[in-house]
Amino acid sequence: MTAPDRPTVTVEVTTWVSKYVGGDGSGPRAFEEPITPGEKLGDLLQRYSMRFPELDAALWDATRTALGEHIEVLVNDAVLGVSHDLGTPLEGGERITLLGQFMGG
Amino acid sequence: MSPTGTVERPSKKAAATASLPGAYAGKLLRVNLSTGKVSAQPWSPEEMRECVGGIGLGAKILYDEVGARVHWDHPDNRLIMATGPLAGLPVWGTGGLTVVTRGALTDGATSTQANGFFGATLKYSGYDAIVIQGQAKKLSYLYINDDTVEIRDAAHLKGKDTWQTQQALEAEHGLSGHRMSVYSIGPAGENLVRFAAIQGDYGHVASKNGCGAVMGKKRLKAVCIVRGTKALTAHDPRGLVQAADEIAHDLKTDPSTSTLYNWGTLFGVTNLYKLGMLPIKNYTTNVTTVNMEDWAPARLRNGFDHRGHQCNACGMHHCHIQVIRHGPHRGELVDEPEYEGWSGAGWTIGLTDAEAVSWLNTRIDRACVDVNEFGWLCGWVMECMEKGYLTDKQVGFRLNWGDVEGAYRLLQMVTKREGFGDVLAEGVKRASEKVGGEAARCAIYTGKGASPRGHDHRGRWDEMLDTATSSNGTMESSNPTFQTEIGLPARINPFDGEQVARLTGGILGRRHFEDSLGGCSFTFRTRVEMLARALSAATGWHYSLDEAMRFGRRTAAILRAFNLRCGIGPELEYPSERYGSQPLDGPAKDHHVLKQWDHMLDVWYETVGYDRKTGKPKRETLKKLGLDWLARDLWGK
Repeated sequence: MTAPDRPTVTVEVTTWVSKYVGGDGSGPRAFEEPITPGEKLGDLLQRYSMRFPELDAALWDATRTALGEHIEVLVNDAVLGVSHDLGTPLEGGERITLLGQFMGG
Repeated sequence: MSPTGTVERPSKKAAATASLPGAYAGKLLRVNLSTGKVSAQPWSPEEMRECVGGIGLGAKILYDEVGARVHWDHPDNRLIMATGPLAGLPVWGTGGLTVVTRGALTDGATSTQANGFFGATLKYSGYDAIVIQGQAKKLSYLYINDDTVEIRDAAHLKGKDTWQTQQALEAEHGLSGHRMSVYSIGPAGENLVRFAAIQGDYGHVASKNGCGAVMGKKRLKAVCIVRGTKALTAHDPRGLVQAADEIAHDLKTDPSTSTLYNWGTLFGVTNLYKLGMLPIKNYTTNVTTVNMEDWAPARLRNGFDHRGHQCNACGMHHCHIQVIRHGPHRGELVDEPEYEGWSGAGWTIGLTDAEAVSWLNTRIDRACVDVNEFGWLCGWVMECMEKGYLTDKQVGFRLNWGDVEGAYRLLQMVTKREGFGDVLAEGVKRASEKVGGEAARCAIYTGKGASPRGHDHRGRWDEMLDTATSSNGTMESSNPTFQTEIGLPARINPFDGEQVARLTGGILGRRHFEDSLGGCSFTFRTRVEMLARALSAATGWHYSLDEAMRFGRRTAAILRAFNLRCGIGPELEYPSERYGSQPLDGPAKDHHVLKQWDHMLDVWYETVGYDRKTGKPKRETLKKLGLDWLARDLWGK
């Protein structure tokens, strides 16, 4: 498969999390990420976050195998646990959103 | 009756019984509005350790002094305005006020917080809390200036809104800025609107469960405290400053709390929309064509000329005062809405013009009702009028989605109890039950009579469960915050009822601890361990995470016992039809909370150690918490 034909997913980084990926911490930033067919969501997130050390530190817990508690991960607008978890293979075309946990009322 | 004289000092013998922990003023100010008597009551170091302050202290007083027949509007009801051991110290956001009373919406316990400078000024005057009972013969206000405590005539303040009241008292006493803290009711409280609030220091509102109606029933217009001159001494000042610095550092740098540090709660709209939790048009939809980038925090804040409006000792970029730039209210000074304001005065009623929302939100604070309850009420009327369940004749005029001037007109009708406003002033539950029919099916409330925060809880089941089971007329546990600290999972499936119930039950108590310290729930969004360290340094106690959670659960049990005595039991722990409905669209549309509701309750009861059938905390739960006396009250010998 040639590079242009590789499936991609959209990684949308919103709210304060965006400052870890070159944004200003208030608006969203989107990245088109090529994936290998069948690549698991967790592997994609590991690969993606390694490019941004601050994001990497915030996204994962100390073991780096499970997510920490302050960034929500949504796949196609659904939080993890509904249709996807970290072990779910990606097909391409998914929209993965990293959303900063909101505290406050 | 007024003015009364200088407050009685406790006898030297009483004052010298034991050395106080650091950071406490050491006295409760007792005010009897019926007799005009004011007195200072010392409280012991043992009581301080047991009750801490804020909601912990208020819950114990409420349980001990307000019997089953003393309903919210009875003169013997207590209005407890408490602060806590960290108030007035150099920890961010420590001007905290916790109001505890038997509230008007549920006729059960209430605990509701505000900030500003109340807690600091009260502590500097020599008091940890004010306990108000009785009913004044005429509208009065309480004036505190160190040992001078007077119940003064407030005829000149009648009908004034909360900002006008503060301005009038500042002019009367020649004090302004941070030299005097004023918390008052507006016209809504005077007219006993069941969701009237207490507002102070220009924009800080203790808003839940009709605490303003209780104050209005007592004919108490305001509490006015001159910044006192008494010293507060922390047990370990260096340790306290270190703990305070670490909390501040955490707030600035931790990924989650840095949001609050930079933007307050402005992120709420865009974040919650993504998750299907933004309540739009009274839960009739979860999608909008509005460009949500316009609701990003920077755009919201920078759409106004603004300046910081921080609370006591606070370094957050949270509270702001802003100026309306355009339209009919151009030039007016308003409070930057919290998320709840953007929601209740905005999205819930279909209003998405940020300047109009800001203006209406401040008008709601000034008339002084709870912005959430008003949002549900106004949104309900708008939906019912659109669908023909309410007519122009019934309401008195046509009210459409997003009509800001119409919403303001409705607010005035409610606060003055004029026309249909008299029905609406009873709150969503009672008003919808009175109207009945299809209209009743659109109303958002809990069985206990309170209504939710400004979220669509159909996508946020933990908050719905918390709101329905709570014993304080609003969310009692609030959101999970650093929950891994107490052994709970970092994340759960939000649509798995069992996981939701275990998490919601598991964090019970954390918020009670926070709300007993005399600070702000936003600056205290740090680890409990950090707060316990600050408390230890302030008081000289060795306070741990375990003790903090145990204390919090003890307070929750006392509030629950109080509510059971008031006749508020588990049979009322359900959402109204609309509140518990399945969303029609948006991210949560495939999930229906009521399908799992009974199981969620079962798991929640098991997790908190309460009896599912009676609602009582189990005897063994109470014994573990050191509440043997409450076990005897609830279960007999």
